[in-house]
Amino acid sequence: MVRENGYLMRAEAVSLRFGGVIALADVSVNLGRSEILAVIGPNGAGKSCLLNCMNGFYRPQEGRIYFQDLDITRMRSHHIAKLGVARTFQGIQLFPGLSVIDNLLAGRHIYMKTNPVQGFLYRLWTHREEMRERRKVEEIIDFLEIKHIRHALVGALSYGLRKRVDLGRALAMEPKVLLMDEPMAGMNLEEKEDMARFVIDIREAMDIPVVIVEHDMQVVMDIADRIYVLNWGNVIAEGNPESIKRNPEVIQAYLGEERRK
Amino acid sequence: MNIAEEATKNWGDLPKIFDGGIETLPQLLLYQAQRLGDRTFHRKKDFGIWQRYSFNDVLENVKNFAMGLSALGVKRGETVTMVGENEPELFWSEYAAQAIGAKAVCLYPDFTPAQMEYLLNHSETVVAVCEDQEQVDKVLEIEGKLPLVHHIIYWDDRGMWKYNHPKLLTFKQVQERGKKAIQENPDKFEKEVAAGKGEDPAVISYTSGTTGLPKGCIMTYNNLFDTALRVAGSMPIKPFTQALSYISPAWAAEQMFGVTQGLLTPFVVNFPEEPETVQENLREIGTEAVTFTPRQWESLASLVESKMLDAGPIRRWFFGWGMAVGRKVNLAELEGKKVSLVWRFLYPLAEKLVLHPLRDNLGLQAAYYTQSGGSGMAPDVFRFFHAMGVKLRNVFGTTEMGLFTLHQGETYDLETVGKWMPIHPRFGPPLEYRVSEQGELLVKGGSGFAGYYKNPEATANRMVDGYYSTGDAVYMTEKKEMVYLDRLEDMRKLSTDHSYPPQFIENRLRFSPFIKEVMTLGDEKKPFVSAMINIDMGTVGLWAEQRSIGYTTFTDLSQNPRVRDLIRREVAKVNYFLPEGSKVIRFFNLPKELDPDEDELTRSRKIRRGFLEQKYADFIAATYEGKKEFQARVPVRYQDGRVGTLNATVYINDLETEEKENP
Repeated sequence: MVRENGYLMRAEAVSLRFGGVIALADVSVNLGRSEILAVIGPNGAGKSCLLNCMNGFYRPQEGRIYFQDLDITRMRSHHIAKLGVARTFQGIQLFPGLSVIDNLLAGRHIYMKTNPVQGFLYRLWTHREEMRERRKVEEIIDFLEIKHIRHALVGALSYGLRKRVDLGRALAMEPKVLLMDEPMAGMNLEEKEDMARFVIDIREAMDIPVVIVEHDMQVVMDIADRIYVLNWGNVIAEGNPESIKRNPEVIQAYLGEERRK
Repeated sequence: MNIAEEATKNWGDLPKIFDGGIETLPQLLLYQAQRLGDRTFHRKKDFGIWQRYSFNDVLENVKNFAMGLSALGVKRGETVTMVGENEPELFWSEYAAQAIGAKAVCLYPDFTPAQMEYLLNHSETVVAVCEDQEQVDKVLEIEGKLPLVHHIIYWDDRGMWKYNHPKLLTFKQVQERGKKAIQENPDKFEKEVAAGKGEDPAVISYTSGTTGLPKGCIMTYNNLFDTALRVAGSMPIKPFTQALSYISPAWAAEQMFGVTQGLLTPFVVNFPEEPETVQENLREIGTEAVTFTPRQWESLASLVESKMLDAGPIRRWFFGWGMAVGRKVNLAELEGKKVSLVWRFLYPLAEKLVLHPLRDNLGLQAAYYTQSGGSGMAPDVFRFFHAMGVKLRNVFGTTEMGLFTLHQGETYDLETVGKWMPIHPRFGPPLEYRVSEQGELLVKGGSGFAGYYKNPEATANRMVDGYYSTGDAVYMTEKKEMVYLDRLEDMRKLSTDHSYPPQFIENRLRFSPFIKEVMTLGDEKKPFVSAMINIDMGTVGLWAEQRSIGYTTFTDLSQNPRVRDLIRREVAKVNYFLPEGSKVIRFFNLPKELDPDEDELTRSRKIRRGFLEQKYADFIAATYEGKKEFQARVPVRYQDGRVGTLNATVYINDLETEEKENP
């Protein structure tokens, strides 16, 4: 399934415009079979737009996006999700009035086959399904160390924990690739460290590659295998954390340039 | 009924188990599995469901792991160390190590690598069994300094996927090796188990030791069974009691309760899912038996208090009323007093509306065997739980000599640490005790003290004329009940050579609602104990208002004759529990509140002894000169930074003379 070059997901020469605003200009990105890939850049660089194109929220005007060599550029986002592309959001997208377990079960809806009529006629069908799905959900709860809040309402949880549940919801889909949009935003140091550990664990234990869009340079440098740097919709650098740290263009984009008089 | 009859009744048929020649825990496990087979022994919540392990399951796990350890080269007399939270695998590892004649050591999961290094080397550990990545990382960090450790085993593989160390093995891998070994040699396990003797060391329990290096106390099987039977003889305990195992097995108490009593009685031993879920788990399993440290009971009590502060006024009123009724009825019954009909009439209503739901929410509805292990927990915390209908008991003892005393029966005094427990004749003579001239508790009897591991000198230091010296300062009340005062080394000496317990006195006095802060005075230059007291303006003020006592300022209130009399009575209450010579003879109320802004208290509101002794030197001098009153001049710093002087007449109160004046 995976092409010989070993890439699981590719964006080829993608351009995205909103009217006269060029959000992405001829951006090419590829994701290996088992890597943590970070996309960084200043505000408005187009990082979130890139993620949105990759999971079908936005349709790029030009370019192609492939997932396991399947062209998904024009596909609807829920179809892409079914293929195995999961994502977490910058703002949390959970049901605040439901418990952690119910939120994660909702994340597994694509695997549920029974319908309300079946549930009405013969409970065993739905019962079996629920046991199977609950087991999966419990495994995720165990993995993310949120056992102590499994019955808590999501709306009553702290921000850091809600982020973790949001990640759990994405994992509940049993994705083949995980796209994370600013998972560390608004977290304190301890929560960031926890989240970084989970990202590494997801790759190591579940063997799911991760694309992570993040502002926090420290975290990115620590966990990413490879980094793309975006600025004004263009890829200005690509490479491992060490080379990115030394790249003059990156330094310029982040720290600004002295204005010439 | 006398003690012996009571004990015989409580024991019932339990000691008969030992008639079949059972001497060790693994022998007992084999016996129980044969007898009880498929009944539940251990339970652990996993994937949101309580997973049960029957006696057969536990035996199989223990057997496989034991034979695995043996295949790894662990020999009789060597040491296997466990480190982790309370989980079934930890208990199984311990039984397995003991099955092949090895000693078990348990370490607290929050030990640092440096602490672990000393203990692993001192105990001559050959295999370390770790819970998870956290513990494995710590052991690997010091691995180069552990010449004897040839294998490191872990049971939770989270985060361990990429580890590749030649000494690392998973719990399951060891069990697989064990299974192979069993196929080759089917009756080896039973033979190994049968070779165990009662006087073999089962566990080495390291005592924290406030000074110097920790000492490894040897606990033999006889010690463990002896202690389990002491408790079983002191109160009726039902078989298959639902117990929660939460205190660490690194502490001798859990070796006695969860590990030994759990297998003997037997209990259904439940392991909490995570330390954070204990509260929830207590409720889910309908806990009947639980042992916590005083600190854990205290935090449970303050959890209730703080949740009630969040509640609305109506609920708060009901809570206050229900607890008040509970106090009247339950505490009176505890003290063996008569309860008036009014309260008896109100009690069922309070029970229905407040007490039952409260116990239910805390998961203590079914709890009948609740203990606070250790020494001094505030009687107020005990009262709190008794008021809500939880019969919380104190159990007191030492790692070296097992448990000594327990609150027994239906009526007992919360100020004491309980009554002496019986010894089953199989495990030695009854406990005998003596209180030395320094006030130290000396004990002998039972299965005795097996000594410190590799430290005969320290062992010998502990023995005085055949008695074990506990290092605990105690006092016997007139009713021959024991009151725990303090560790001997924390006692302070007076010029008369008598030692008194400053912490005990201060803590007890601080429980009084009328006293906010207190400092005991008395050192090598002073012949008796006196106290410097900072009254609680809020409660004393309210008390005064209710009695139409007029006052203007804090100074005025503190020196009011009726207020001084009130405080005198509070001091006298505490004096009842103090031996002659330690009683507080004189005290004075400070004319101003102690204030952290003036460096009298630390920011965390602890008294600054040295500073106070200097600042109030003339107060103290007047106290010991025997003056009745004196003119005090205290420098004060106002909120705006100005410095002034407080002039006041301060009265010094004498308990002995005034007791005669106003009886």
